[in-house]
Amino acid sequence: MPDTETKFEITDEMRAQYGVDSAPWTYEVTTTSVRMYARGIGSDDPIHYDVEFAKAQGFRSIVAPLGYIGTPVYLPGKNDPTFGFPRREGGPRLNIPFRGLLDGGTETEYFDYICAGDVLAETSHLADLKYRETGRPMLFVTNESVYTNVATGKVVVKQRLTSIHM
Amino acid sequence: MADQNYFEDVAVGQKLPPLTIAPDKQQLVKFAAGSGDFNPLHFDENFPMLKPMGLSENIVHGRFKYAQVGRAVFAFAGYKGRVQRFGVSYRGMDPLNKEITVNGVVTAKRQEGGEHIVELDVWTENADGQKTTPGTAVVVLPSRE
Repeated sequence: MPDTETKFEITDEMRAQYGVDSAPWTYEVTTTSVRMYARGIGSDDPIHYDVEFAKAQGFRSIVAPLGYIGTPVYLPGKNDPTFGFPRREGGPRLNIPFRGLLDGGTETEYFDYICAGDVLAETSHLADLKYRETGRPMLFVTNESVYTNVATGKVVVKQRLTSIHM
Repeated sequence: MADQNYFEDVAVGQKLPPLTIAPDKQQLVKFAAGSGDFNPLHFDENFPMLKPMGLSENIVHGRFKYAQVGRAVFAFAGYKGRVQRFGVSYRGMDPLNKEITVNGVVTAKRQEGGEHIVELDVWTENADGQKTTPGTAVVVLPSRE
C-alpha cells in the first residue's frame, strides 16, 4: 500500500540548510567509465569510444555522453551502496521518512565538454524543498551541484537534480 | 553521427530526427553499471518496493531517458557545436521493452555575444504519444560565416 500514513513537515531548520555547500568530493572520468556509460545508453558514436577518433575531431580524449559527469570515488561506508553518491560531511540532513525514491528532473549547464582523463571536484547544496500532501504524500528535494575541473580550476558543469521521496 | 548542422541552415520549427529505443533488462543493467545507479526498481521484478510505489513492473531509469534526450541533442550539436544546457522533467514512467521515442523541435535561434544559439524543445514519448520526459535544450552551432 502507498505510504499515506507517513507525515512530514518542512521545518525552518531544514530551510536553513539551503545554499550551504557540502565538502567537495572527487569524480573521475576515465576512458573505461566513459565507454561503460556509452554502452549503458546504447550509443554507437565513436566519439565516446575511440580516443584517436575523438582527438582527430579536436577533443582531448573521448567525450563523456551528455548526462555523465564522472563517477564519484567510492569509499566503502562513505558512499551510498545503491546509488554510489557520497554521504559526506556538510551535506543537509533531512531525515526523510519515505522509502520510495524517484527522479523528478535533471537540468545540466555545460561550460565545457567532459572528456576522459578529467578529474572533477563536486560540491552540492540543498536548493529547494516542496512537500505535497494531496493524494500520495511526496517530498520534492532539489540539490544543485557544481563540478570544477581540478587541473584547470574552471567550473565545467552545474547541475540541478530533483528527487521525489514517497 | 549525422552531418554537422550549421546555424544558417537551421530553421525554427525544424524537427530533430526521431530516436526510437525499446530498452530491455540487459540494457538497463548495463546502464546501472555505467551510471552507478543500482536501484533494483529498474531490474528486479521481485523488488519489494514496487507495489508500495504503485508499480506492477520494473521501469526505465529517468536518467536513462535523460541520456537518450542527450544523445539526440548531442547529435544535433555535432562535433563542432556545443551544448550549453539541457534539462527535463520526469512526468511519466516507461516500462521495460516498450518503445520510447526521443523527439525535438527548434523553437528559436539568435546571435548573442558572438555565438550562434539555437533553442530546442525536446522530449521522450511512449507508444501512446504521451510525453513522459519533456524538456528544453540550448545549443551553440557553428556558423558558415
